[in-house]
Amino acid sequence: MNRESFVPPTSQTSSGAAAAGRAFQPVQAITYLCASCAAPNTLNRSDPVRCKECGHRVLYKQRTRRMVQFEAR
Amino acid sequence: MVDYSKIRRNVVGIEHDRVTNVSSTDFPGYYPGEDHSWNLDKFKENFRSHISYLTDLSCSFDLIGVDSSIANAFRRIMIAEVPTLAVEYVYIENNTSIIQDEVLAHRLGLIPLKANPDYLRWFKKDDPDFEPTDYDTVVLHLSAKCTTNSNAPPGSTDPKVLYNGANVYASVIQFEPQGRQSEWFPDGIAPANPDVLIAKLRPGQEIDLTMHCILGIGQDHAKFSPVATASYRLLPTIEIIGPPLTGELAQKFKSCFPKGVVGINSKGEAYVKDARKDTVSREVLRHPEFEGRVKLGRLRDHFIFNVESTGAMTPDEIFIKSVQLLKKKCQILRKFDLRT
Amino acid sequence: MPSAANENEAAGSSDVPQAKEEVVDEEMAGGEFEFDGEIDPNKIQILPGASEDGTAASFRILKEDHTMGNALRYMIMKNPDVEFCGYSIPHPSEAAVNLRIQTYGDITAIQALEKGLDDLMDLCDHIESEFRKEVEAGDYSTVEP
Repeated sequence: MNRESFVPPTSQTSSGAAAAGRAFQPVQAITYLCASCAAPNTLNRSDPVRCKECGHRVLYKQRTRRMVQFEAR
Repeated sequence: MVDYSKIRRNVVGIEHDRVTNVSSTDFPGYYPGEDHSWNLDKFKENFRSHISYLTDLSCSFDLIGVDSSIANAFRRIMIAEVPTLAVEYVYIENNTSIIQDEVLAHRLGLIPLKANPDYLRWFKKDDPDFEPTDYDTVVLHLSAKCTTNSNAPPGSTDPKVLYNGANVYASVIQFEPQGRQSEWFPDGIAPANPDVLIAKLRPGQEIDLTMHCILGIGQDHAKFSPVATASYRLLPTIEIIGPPLTGELAQKFKSCFPKGVVGINSKGEAYVKDARKDTVSREVLRHPEFEGRVKLGRLRDHFIFNVESTGAMTPDEIFIKSVQLLKKKCQILRKFDLRT
Repeated sequence: MPSAANENEAAGSSDVPQAKEEVVDEEMAGGEFEFDGEIDPNKIQILPGASEDGTAASFRILKEDHTMGNALRYMIMKNPDVEFCGYSIPHPSEAAVNLRIQTYGDITAIQALEKGLDDLMDLCDHIESEFRKEVEAGDYSTVEP
Protein backbone atom coordinates (compact mmCIF):
# COMPACT_ATOMS: atom_id res chain seq x y z
CA MET A 1 0.00 0.00 0.00
CA ASN A 2 1.44 3.37 -0.94
CA ARG A 3 1.15 6.47 1.18
CA GLU A 4 -1.54 8.11 -0.90
CA SER A 5 -4.01 5.25 -0.73
CA PHE A 6 -3.80 4.90 3.05
CA VAL A 7 -6.96 5.94 4.85
CA PRO A 8 -6.59 6.44 8.58
CA PRO A 9 -9.32 4.51 10.40
CA THR A 10 -11.81 6.66 12.28
CA SER A 11 -14.46 5.73 14.83
CA GLN A 12 -17.20 7.21 12.65
CA THR A 13 -16.50 5.32 9.48
CA SER A 14 -17.02 1.57 9.39
CA SER A 15 -14.59 1.20 6.46
CA GLY A 16 -11.69 -0.06 8.64
CA ALA A 17 -12.42 -3.60 9.83
CA ALA A 18 -9.97 -3.31 12.71
CA ALA A 19 -11.50 -0.12 13.97
CA ALA A 20 -14.98 -1.59 13.86
CA GLY A 21 -13.97 -4.75 15.71
CA ARG A 22 -12.05 -3.03 18.45
CA ALA A 23 -15.02 -1.15 19.82
CA PHE A 24 -16.95 -4.30 20.68
CA GLN A 25 -14.10 -6.61 21.65
CA PRO A 26 -13.91 -6.99 25.44
CA VAL A 27 -10.58 -5.58 26.64
CA GLN A 28 -8.43 -8.29 28.25
CA ALA A 29 -8.11 -7.73 31.95
CA ILE A 30 -4.47 -7.56 33.12
CA THR A 31 -3.22 -8.63 36.51
CA TYR A 32 -1.00 -6.14 38.33
CA LEU A 33 0.82 -6.46 41.61
CA CYS A 34 0.38 -3.95 44.38
CA ALA A 35 3.63 -2.15 45.15
CA SER A 36 2.74 -2.04 48.83
CA CYS A 37 1.17 -5.37 49.74
CA ALA A 38 2.01 -7.50 46.65
CA ALA A 39 -1.61 -8.54 46.22
CA PRO A 40 -2.59 -9.41 42.63
CA ASN A 41 -5.12 -6.95 41.18
CA THR A 42 -7.07 -7.66 38.01
CA LEU A 43 -7.91 -4.35 36.41
CA ASN A 44 -10.17 -3.52 33.49
CA ARG A 45 -9.82 -0.55 31.21
CA SER A 46 -11.97 1.80 33.21
CA ASP A 47 -11.05 0.60 36.70
CA PRO A 48 -9.32 3.06 38.99
CA VAL A 49 -5.61 2.39 39.58
CA ARG A 50 -5.92 1.30 43.16
CA CYS A 51 -5.16 -1.88 45.08
CA LYS A 52 -8.29 -3.75 46.05
CA GLU A 53 -6.66 -4.98 49.26
CA CYS A 54 -4.93 -1.97 50.71
CA GLY A 55 -5.90 0.96 48.53
CA HIS A 56 -2.33 1.71 47.53
CA ARG A 57 -2.16 3.65 44.29
CA VAL A 58 1.03 2.20 42.80
CA LEU A 59 0.66 -1.02 40.84
CA TYR A 60 3.35 -2.91 38.97
CA LYS A 61 2.92 -4.82 35.75
CA GLN A 62 4.08 -8.41 36.10
CA ARG A 63 7.26 -9.62 34.41
CA THR A 64 6.83 -11.52 31.16
CA ARG A 65 6.79 -15.29 31.62
CA ARG A 66 9.08 -15.80 28.66
CA MET A 67 12.03 -18.02 29.50
CA VAL A 68 15.48 -16.46 29.05
CA GLN A 69 18.72 -18.38 28.88
CA PHE A 70 21.97 -17.26 30.54
CA GLU A 71 25.47 -18.67 30.83
CA ALA A 72 26.58 -18.88 34.44
CA ARG A 73 29.91 -17.14 33.78
CA MET B 1 84.15 -35.26 59.10
CA VAL B 2 80.63 -34.31 58.18
CA ASP B 3 80.27 -33.41 54.54
CA TYR B 4 78.43 -30.15 54.97
CA SER B 5 78.26 -29.46 51.28
CA LYS B 6 76.11 -32.55 50.75
CA ILE B 7 73.60 -31.53 53.42
CA ARG B 8 73.76 -27.86 52.49
CA ARG B 9 72.81 -28.45 48.87
CA ASN B 10 69.29 -29.43 49.98
CA VAL B 11 68.86 -26.24 51.99
CA VAL B 12 67.70 -22.99 50.48
CA GLY B 13 69.47 -20.24 52.43
CA ILE B 14 67.46 -17.37 53.82
CA GLU B 15 69.26 -14.12 54.57
CA HIS B 16 67.79 -10.83 55.67
CA ASP B 17 67.55 -9.45 52.16
CA ARG B 18 67.98 -12.46 49.85
CA VAL B 19 67.59 -16.15 49.28
CA THR B 20 70.56 -18.28 48.29
CA ASN B 21 71.10 -21.71 46.75
CA VAL B 22 67.72 -21.68 45.08
CA SER B 23 68.05 -24.15 42.21
CA SER B 24 67.96 -27.93 42.31
CA THR B 25 71.27 -29.55 41.48
CA ASP B 26 70.26 -33.20 41.52
CA PHE B 27 71.06 -33.81 37.86
CA PRO B 28 73.58 -36.18 36.31
CA GLY B 29 76.86 -34.45 35.57
CA TYR B 30 76.43 -31.69 38.14
CA TYR B 31 78.66 -33.22 40.82
CA PRO B 32 81.63 -35.21 39.50
CA GLY B 33 81.57 -38.85 40.50
CA GLU B 34 77.99 -38.78 41.80
CA ASP B 35 75.11 -40.57 40.18
CA HIS B 36 72.00 -38.45 40.01
CA SER B 37 70.29 -40.23 37.13
CA TRP B 38 66.67 -41.21 37.59
CA ASN B 39 66.35 -44.39 39.60
CA LEU B 40 62.91 -45.52 40.66
CA ASP B 41 64.18 -47.67 43.53
CA LYS B 42 66.26 -44.80 44.87
CA PHE B 43 63.24 -42.52 44.58
CA LYS B 44 61.06 -45.01 46.45
CA GLU B 45 63.69 -45.21 49.17
CA ASN B 46 63.84 -41.43 49.57
CA PHE B 47 60.19 -40.56 49.11
CA ARG B 48 57.94 -40.21 52.11
CA SER B 49 54.49 -38.80 52.55
CA HIS B 50 52.78 -37.94 55.78
CA ILE B 51 49.35 -36.52 56.52
CA SER B 52 49.15 -34.02 59.39
CA TYR B 53 45.39 -33.69 59.37
CA LEU B 54 42.55 -34.57 57.06
CA THR B 55 38.97 -33.36 57.38
CA ASP B 56 36.09 -33.21 54.92
CA LEU B 57 37.10 -29.74 53.83
CA SER B 58 40.80 -29.28 54.48
CA CYS B 59 44.00 -31.22 54.64
CA SER B 60 47.69 -30.73 55.30
CA PHE B 61 50.26 -33.27 54.21
CA ASP B 62 53.98 -33.51 53.54
CA LEU B 63 55.60 -34.73 50.38
CA ILE B 64 59.26 -35.44 51.08
CA GLY B 65 61.85 -36.32 48.46
CA VAL B 66 60.30 -34.83 45.35
CA ASP B 67 61.47 -31.96 43.20
CA SER B 68 59.65 -28.65 43.10
CA SER B 69 58.72 -29.21 39.45
CA ILE B 70 56.75 -32.30 40.45
CA ALA B 71 55.16 -30.76 43.56
CA ASN B 72 54.23 -27.70 41.55
CA ALA B 73 52.61 -29.84 38.86
CA PHE B 74 50.33 -31.43 41.47
CA ARG B 75 49.44 -28.03 42.91
CA ARG B 76 48.65 -26.61 39.49
CA ILE B 77 46.56 -29.63 38.51
CA MET B 78 44.54 -29.46 41.75
CA ILE B 79 43.68 -25.83 41.04
CA ALA B 80 43.12 -25.88 37.31
CA GLU B 81 42.61 -29.38 35.96
CA VAL B 82 40.67 -31.62 38.34
CA PRO B 83 37.13 -31.66 36.88
CA THR B 84 34.04 -30.89 38.91
CA LEU B 85 30.37 -30.22 38.29
CA ALA B 86 29.04 -26.66 38.19
CA VAL B 87 26.02 -24.78 36.90
CA GLU B 88 26.67 -23.68 33.32
CA TYR B 89 23.30 -22.83 31.78
CA VAL B 90 20.51 -21.04 33.60
CA TYR B 91 17.00 -20.92 32.13
CA ILE B 92 15.11 -18.18 33.96
CA GLU B 93 11.35 -18.48 33.79
CA ASN B 94 10.72 -15.76 36.30
CA ASN B 95 12.88 -13.49 38.38
CA THR B 96 11.29 -10.45 39.94
CA SER B 97 13.93 -10.09 42.64
CA ILE B 98 16.17 -7.02 42.64
CA ILE B 99 19.14 -9.12 41.56
CA GLN B 100 19.46 -9.03 37.79
CA ASP B 101 19.10 -12.17 35.69
CA GLU B 102 22.72 -12.30 34.51
CA VAL B 103 24.09 -11.57 38.00
CA LEU B 104 21.84 -14.25 39.46
CA ALA B 105 23.05 -16.73 36.83
CA HIS B 106 26.66 -15.89 37.64
CA ARG B 107 26.04 -16.38 41.37
CA LEU B 108 24.41 -19.73 40.76
CA GLY B 109 27.41 -20.86 38.74
CA LEU B 110 29.76 -20.24 41.66
CA ILE B 111 27.86 -22.49 44.10
CA PRO B 112 29.99 -25.61 44.75
CA LEU B 113 28.05 -28.81 44.10
CA LYS B 114 28.72 -32.11 45.80
CA ALA B 115 28.69 -34.77 43.10
CA ASN B 116 31.01 -37.55 42.05
CA PRO B 117 32.35 -36.43 38.64
CA ASP B 118 33.37 -40.01 37.77
CA TYR B 119 29.79 -40.83 36.84
CA LEU B 120 29.58 -38.04 34.29
CA ARG B 121 31.05 -37.40 30.88
CA TRP B 122 32.10 -34.23 29.13
CA PHE B 123 29.38 -32.06 27.69
CA LYS B 124 30.65 -31.22 24.20
CA LYS B 125 30.20 -27.48 24.33
CA ASP B 126 31.81 -26.66 21.00
CA ASP B 127 29.57 -29.04 19.05
CA PRO B 128 26.37 -27.10 18.17
CA ASP B 129 24.48 -30.33 17.45
CA PHE B 130 25.34 -31.85 20.83
CA GLU B 131 22.21 -32.63 22.80
CA PRO B 132 22.40 -32.88 26.58
CA THR B 133 21.82 -36.36 27.95
CA ASP B 134 21.70 -37.85 31.42
CA TYR B 135 25.37 -38.84 30.92
CA ASP B 136 26.64 -35.29 30.82
CA THR B 137 24.01 -32.91 32.20
CA VAL B 138 22.55 -32.56 35.66
CA VAL B 139 19.32 -30.60 35.99
CA LEU B 140 18.62 -28.53 39.09
CA HIS B 141 15.60 -26.43 39.84
CA LEU B 142 15.16 -23.37 42.01
CA SER B 143 11.85 -21.82 42.82
CA ALA B 144 11.33 -19.39 45.66
CA LYS B 145 8.61 -16.90 46.50
CA CYS B 146 8.39 -14.34 49.25
CA THR B 147 5.13 -13.53 51.04
CA THR B 148 4.13 -11.30 53.93
CA ASN B 149 3.90 -13.04 57.28
CA SER B 150 0.42 -12.20 58.55
CA ASN B 151 1.34 -13.62 61.97
CA ALA B 152 4.20 -11.20 62.47
CA PRO B 153 3.90 -9.35 65.78
CA PRO B 154 3.05 -5.67 65.31
CA GLY B 155 6.05 -3.35 65.28
CA SER B 156 8.53 -6.02 64.22
CA THR B 157 11.24 -4.87 61.83
CA ASP B 158 13.23 -8.04 61.21
CA PRO B 159 12.69 -9.11 57.58
CA LYS B 160 12.96 -12.74 58.68
CA VAL B 161 9.92 -12.20 60.92
CA LEU B 162 7.97 -9.88 58.66
CA TYR B 163 8.18 -12.04 55.56
CA ASN B 164 8.16 -15.69 54.64
CA GLY B 165 11.08 -16.75 52.47
CA ALA B 166 12.91 -13.42 52.53
CA ASN B 167 16.28 -15.14 52.07
CA VAL B 168 16.87 -17.69 49.34
CA TYR B 169 19.54 -20.19 50.36
CA ALA B 170 21.28 -22.87 48.30
CA SER B 171 19.34 -25.51 50.26
CA VAL B 172 16.25 -24.57 48.21
CA ILE B 173 17.87 -25.97 45.05
CA GLN B 174 16.21 -29.22 44.00
CA PHE B 175 17.88 -32.02 42.04
CA GLU B 176 15.80 -33.34 39.15
CA PRO B 177 17.27 -36.72 38.21
CA GLN B 178 17.22 -37.45 34.48
CA GLY B 179 17.26 -40.93 33.00
CA ARG B 180 19.39 -43.22 35.13
CA GLN B 181 20.82 -40.47 37.32
CA SER B 182 18.80 -41.54 40.35
CA GLU B 183 20.72 -44.83 40.04
CA TRP B 184 24.14 -43.18 39.74
CA PHE B 185 23.52 -40.53 42.37
CA PRO B 186 21.39 -42.28 45.02
CA ASP B 187 22.10 -39.48 47.49
CA GLY B 188 21.17 -36.85 44.95
CA ILE B 189 23.19 -33.83 43.89
CA ALA B 190 23.08 -30.79 46.13
CA PRO B 191 25.14 -27.71 46.96
CA ALA B 192 28.11 -28.61 49.16
CA ASN B 193 27.08 -25.89 51.59
CA PRO B 194 23.32 -25.43 52.12
CA ASP B 195 23.76 -21.97 53.66
CA VAL B 196 24.96 -20.08 50.59
CA LEU B 197 22.79 -16.98 50.26
CA ILE B 198 21.62 -16.68 46.65
CA ALA B 199 19.22 -13.71 46.80
CA LYS B 200 17.06 -11.66 49.13
CA LEU B 201 13.37 -11.22 48.35
CA ARG B 202 10.52 -8.98 49.43
CA PRO B 203 6.80 -9.89 49.33
CA GLY B 204 5.56 -10.52 45.79
CA GLN B 205 9.05 -11.23 44.45
CA GLU B 206 9.68 -14.60 42.94
CA ILE B 207 12.45 -16.66 41.41
CA ASP B 208 11.72 -19.65 39.21
CA LEU B 209 14.52 -21.14 37.15
CA THR B 210 16.10 -24.33 35.85
CA MET B 211 19.85 -24.96 35.82
CA HIS B 212 21.93 -27.30 33.68
CA CYS B 213 25.20 -28.39 35.30
CA ILE B 214 28.13 -29.81 33.34
CA LEU B 215 31.67 -31.00 34.01
CA GLY B 216 34.47 -28.50 33.58
CA ILE B 217 37.95 -27.59 34.78
CA GLY B 218 39.30 -24.59 36.65
CA GLN B 219 41.37 -23.61 33.62
CA ASP B 220 38.12 -22.76 31.82
CA HIS B 221 36.36 -21.06 34.74
CA ALA B 222 37.17 -20.80 38.45
CA LYS B 223 33.73 -22.17 39.36
CA PHE B 224 34.96 -25.61 38.24
CA SER B 225 38.00 -25.59 40.54
CA PRO B 226 37.59 -28.15 43.35
CA VAL B 227 39.86 -26.26 45.73
CA ALA B 228 39.51 -23.01 47.59
CA THR B 229 43.28 -22.99 48.06
CA ALA B 230 45.97 -25.49 47.18
CA SER B 231 49.43 -24.37 48.21
CA TYR B 232 52.75 -25.65 49.47
CA ARG B 233 55.65 -24.27 51.46
CA LEU B 234 59.08 -25.67 52.13
CA LEU B 235 59.93 -26.93 55.61
CA PRO B 236 61.85 -24.18 57.44
CA THR B 237 65.18 -24.92 59.16
CA ILE B 238 66.79 -22.95 61.99
CA GLU B 239 70.37 -23.56 63.04
CA ILE B 240 71.96 -21.91 66.07
CA ILE B 241 75.66 -21.35 65.44
CA GLY B 242 78.39 -21.15 68.07
CA PRO B 243 78.03 -21.25 71.87
CA PRO B 244 74.50 -21.66 73.31
CA LEU B 245 72.38 -18.53 73.67
CA THR B 246 71.55 -18.07 77.34
CA GLY B 247 69.75 -15.70 79.71
CA GLU B 248 68.25 -12.54 78.31
CA LEU B 249 69.70 -13.25 74.87
CA ALA B 250 67.88 -16.58 74.81
CA GLN B 251 64.61 -14.89 75.75
CA LYS B 252 65.05 -12.32 73.01
CA PHE B 253 65.93 -15.06 70.54
CA LYS B 254 62.76 -16.93 71.49
CA SER B 255 60.61 -13.84 71.05
CA CYS B 256 61.89 -13.43 67.48
CA PHE B 257 59.93 -16.52 66.43
CA PRO B 258 56.26 -17.53 66.62
CA LYS B 259 55.11 -19.46 69.72
CA GLY B 260 56.51 -22.95 70.01
CA VAL B 261 59.37 -22.58 67.53
CA VAL B 262 62.14 -21.94 70.03
CA GLY B 263 62.25 -23.39 73.56
CA ILE B 264 64.52 -22.75 76.55
CA ASN B 265 65.89 -25.81 78.33
CA SER B 266 66.65 -26.28 82.02
CA LYS B 267 70.12 -24.78 81.59
CA GLY B 268 68.55 -21.58 80.22
CA GLU B 269 69.81 -22.29 76.70
CA ALA B 270 67.69 -21.57 73.67
CA TYR B 271 67.07 -24.57 71.38
CA VAL B 272 65.02 -25.10 68.22
CA LYS B 273 61.87 -26.89 69.37
CA ASP B 274 59.75 -26.99 66.20
CA ALA B 275 61.05 -25.23 63.10
CA ARG B 276 57.94 -26.30 61.14
CA LYS B 277 55.87 -23.76 63.07
CA ASP B 278 58.12 -20.92 61.88
CA THR B 279 56.60 -18.45 59.46
CA VAL B 280 60.11 -17.40 58.33
CA SER B 281 59.45 -13.78 59.17
CA ARG B 282 63.26 -13.23 59.42
CA GLU B 283 62.73 -11.08 62.51
CA VAL B 284 65.81 -12.67 64.10
CA LEU B 285 68.01 -11.37 61.27
CA ARG B 286 67.10 -7.75 62.08
CA HIS B 287 68.94 -7.81 65.41
CA PRO B 288 72.71 -7.23 65.33
CA GLU B 289 73.31 -9.42 68.43
CA PHE B 290 72.23 -12.49 66.46
CA GLU B 291 74.43 -11.73 63.46
CA GLY B 292 76.34 -14.88 62.62
CA ARG B 293 74.62 -16.76 65.45
CA VAL B 294 71.75 -18.19 63.46
CA LYS B 295 71.22 -19.68 60.02
CA LEU B 296 67.72 -19.78 58.53
CA GLY B 297 66.84 -22.02 55.62
CA ARG B 298 64.23 -24.17 53.97
CA LEU B 299 64.50 -27.79 52.91
CA ARG B 300 64.32 -27.90 49.15
CA ASP B 301 62.66 -31.30 48.86
CA HIS B 302 60.25 -31.15 51.81
CA PHE B 303 56.87 -29.80 50.74
CA ILE B 304 54.12 -29.01 53.22
CA PHE B 305 50.92 -28.96 51.22
CA ASN B 306 47.76 -27.27 52.35
CA VAL B 307 44.60 -28.12 50.44
CA GLU B 308 41.20 -26.62 51.18
CA SER B 309 38.30 -28.14 49.29
CA THR B 310 35.23 -26.24 48.14
CA GLY B 311 33.23 -29.26 49.26
CA ALA B 312 32.89 -30.92 45.87
CA MET B 313 35.27 -33.71 46.93
CA THR B 314 37.38 -34.50 49.97
CA PRO B 315 40.89 -32.97 49.82
CA ASP B 316 42.62 -36.37 49.71
CA GLU B 317 40.52 -37.31 46.68
CA ILE B 318 41.53 -34.08 44.98
CA PHE B 319 45.23 -34.81 45.51
CA ILE B 320 44.93 -38.40 44.31
CA LYS B 321 43.06 -37.17 41.23
CA SER B 322 45.85 -34.69 40.52
CA VAL B 323 48.44 -37.48 40.60
CA GLN B 324 46.28 -39.64 38.32
CA LEU B 325 45.80 -36.73 35.95
CA LEU B 326 49.54 -36.09 35.61
CA LYS B 327 49.96 -39.74 34.75
CA LYS B 328 47.11 -39.58 32.25
CA LYS B 329 48.73 -36.60 30.53
CA CYS B 330 51.89 -38.67 30.11
CA GLN B 331 49.90 -41.62 28.81
CA ILE B 332 48.26 -39.46 26.17
CA LEU B 333 51.63 -38.16 24.95
CA ARG B 334 53.06 -41.67 25.07
CA LYS B 335 50.40 -42.88 22.62
CA PHE B 336 51.91 -40.86 19.80
CA ASP B 337 54.42 -42.55 17.56
CA LEU B 338 56.95 -39.86 16.74
CA ARG B 339 59.46 -42.19 15.13
CA THR B 340 57.87 -42.15 11.67
CA MET C 1 11.91 -24.75 27.47
CA PRO C 2 15.47 -25.64 26.55
CA SER C 3 16.26 -29.08 25.31
CA ALA C 4 16.34 -30.78 28.66
CA ALA C 5 18.52 -33.76 29.41
CA ASN C 6 16.90 -36.38 27.28
CA GLU C 7 16.52 -39.58 29.17
CA ASN C 8 15.01 -41.46 26.25
CA GLU C 9 17.86 -40.77 23.94
CA ALA C 10 20.41 -41.71 26.55
CA ALA C 11 18.62 -44.84 27.64
CA GLY C 12 18.01 -45.94 24.08
CA SER C 13 21.62 -45.58 23.02
CA SER C 14 23.26 -46.68 26.24
CA ASP C 15 24.03 -50.22 25.16
CA VAL C 16 24.94 -49.91 21.52
CA PRO C 17 27.41 -47.03 21.13
CA GLN C 18 29.09 -47.66 24.47
CA ALA C 19 30.62 -50.88 23.24
CA LYS C 20 32.32 -49.04 20.39
CA GLU C 21 33.97 -46.42 22.54
CA GLU C 22 37.61 -46.41 23.41
CA VAL C 23 38.97 -47.60 26.71
CA VAL C 24 39.98 -44.04 27.59
CA ASP C 25 36.37 -42.92 27.42
CA GLU C 26 35.20 -45.74 29.63
CA GLU C 27 37.34 -44.48 32.43
CA MET C 28 36.58 -41.46 34.48
CA ALA C 29 36.17 -38.20 32.67
CA GLY C 30 38.86 -36.78 34.92
CA GLY C 31 41.43 -38.32 32.67
CA GLU C 32 40.62 -36.00 29.81
CA PHE C 33 41.44 -32.36 29.83
CA GLU C 34 40.29 -31.49 26.32
CA PHE C 35 36.67 -30.56 26.25
CA ASP C 36 35.76 -32.91 23.44
CA GLY C 37 37.31 -35.86 25.25
CA GLU C 38 39.10 -36.82 22.06
CA ILE C 39 42.82 -36.57 21.59
CA ASP C 40 44.03 -34.02 19.09
CA PRO C 41 46.06 -35.86 16.40
CA ASN C 42 48.51 -32.93 16.45
CA LYS C 43 48.90 -32.97 20.24
CA ILE C 44 52.65 -33.38 19.87
CA GLN C 45 54.75 -32.59 16.83
CA ILE C 46 58.45 -32.44 16.04
CA LEU C 47 59.41 -28.92 15.05
CA PRO C 48 61.47 -28.40 11.90
CA GLY C 49 65.22 -28.17 12.41
CA ALA C 50 65.88 -31.43 14.23
CA SER C 51 69.35 -32.83 13.70
CA GLU C 52 69.76 -35.48 11.03
CA ASP C 53 70.56 -38.31 13.41
CA GLY C 54 67.65 -37.35 15.68
CA THR C 55 69.84 -36.71 18.73
CA ALA C 56 68.61 -33.13 19.01
CA ALA C 57 65.04 -32.08 18.41
CA SER C 58 62.35 -29.64 19.52
CA PHE C 59 58.79 -30.71 20.17
CA ARG C 60 55.62 -28.69 20.26
CA ILE C 61 52.97 -29.95 22.67
CA LEU C 62 49.55 -28.37 22.30
CA LYS C 63 47.20 -27.49 25.16
CA GLU C 64 49.91 -27.92 27.78
CA ASP C 65 51.61 -25.44 30.10
CA HIS C 66 54.17 -25.28 32.91
CA THR C 67 52.41 -28.20 34.63
CA MET C 68 53.65 -30.71 32.06
CA GLY C 69 56.48 -28.60 30.68
CA ASN C 70 58.46 -28.25 33.89
CA ALA C 71 57.73 -31.73 35.26
CA LEU C 72 58.75 -33.33 31.98
CA ARG C 73 61.85 -31.13 31.69
CA TYR C 74 62.95 -32.29 35.16
CA MET C 75 62.47 -35.99 34.37
CA ILE C 76 64.28 -35.70 31.03
CA MET C 77 67.17 -33.83 32.66
CA LYS C 78 67.50 -36.76 35.10
CA ASN C 79 68.55 -38.92 32.14
CA PRO C 80 72.38 -39.18 32.01
CA ASP C 81 72.29 -39.50 28.21
CA VAL C 82 70.66 -36.08 27.90
CA GLU C 83 72.97 -33.11 27.45
CA PHE C 84 70.27 -30.43 27.50
CA CYS C 85 66.56 -30.15 28.06
CA GLY C 86 64.49 -27.01 28.33
CA TYR C 87 61.00 -25.82 27.68
CA SER C 88 59.29 -22.57 26.85
CA ILE C 89 55.84 -21.17 26.26
CA PRO C 90 56.56 -19.01 23.21
CA HIS C 91 53.46 -16.88 23.52
CA PRO C 92 51.09 -16.63 26.51
CA SER C 93 47.97 -16.58 24.36
CA GLU C 94 48.89 -19.77 22.54
CA ALA C 95 48.22 -22.90 24.59
CA ALA C 96 51.41 -24.68 23.60
CA VAL C 97 54.76 -25.71 25.04
CA ASN C 98 58.00 -26.02 23.09
CA LEU C 99 60.34 -28.66 24.50
CA ARG C 100 63.98 -28.89 23.41
CA ILE C 101 66.00 -32.04 23.92
CA GLN C 102 69.68 -32.58 23.01
CA THR C 103 71.41 -35.83 23.85
CA TYR C 104 75.08 -36.79 24.01
CA GLY C 105 74.47 -39.05 20.98
CA ASP C 106 73.80 -42.45 22.48
CA ILE C 107 69.99 -42.09 22.25
CA THR C 108 67.64 -40.02 20.12
CA ALA C 109 65.65 -37.09 21.44
CA ILE C 110 62.46 -39.10 20.92
CA GLN C 111 63.81 -41.91 23.08
CA ALA C 112 64.73 -39.42 25.77
CA LEU C 113 61.22 -37.96 25.67
CA GLU C 114 59.65 -41.41 25.90
CA LYS C 115 61.86 -42.36 28.84
CA GLY C 116 60.95 -39.08 30.53
CA LEU C 117 57.25 -39.84 30.15
CA ASP C 118 57.67 -43.40 31.40
CA ASP C 119 59.67 -42.24 34.43
CA LEU C 120 57.10 -39.59 35.23
CA MET C 121 54.35 -42.21 35.12
CA ASP C 122 56.32 -44.49 37.47
CA LEU C 123 56.76 -41.57 39.87
CA CYS C 124 53.03 -40.82 39.80
CA ASP C 125 52.18 -44.44 40.49
CA HIS C 126 54.45 -44.55 43.52
CA ILE C 127 53.24 -41.24 44.97
CA GLU C 128 49.62 -42.29 44.52
CA SER C 129 50.09 -45.66 46.22
CA GLU C 130 52.11 -44.14 49.07
CA PHE C 131 49.53 -41.43 49.66
CA ARG C 132 46.70 -43.98 49.52
CA LYS C 133 48.53 -46.09 52.12
CA GLU C 134 48.89 -43.03 54.31
CA VAL C 135 45.18 -42.20 54.06
CA GLU C 136 44.18 -45.79 54.84
CA ALA C 137 46.60 -46.02 57.77
CA GLY C 138 44.61 -43.23 59.39
CA ASP C 139 47.61 -42.01 61.35
CA TYR C 140 46.52 -38.38 61.32
CA SER C 141 44.28 -35.93 63.11
CA THR C 142 40.74 -35.56 61.82
CA VAL C 143 40.30 -32.06 63.16
CA GLU C 144 41.90 -28.92 61.87
CA PRO C 145 44.40 -27.51 64.38
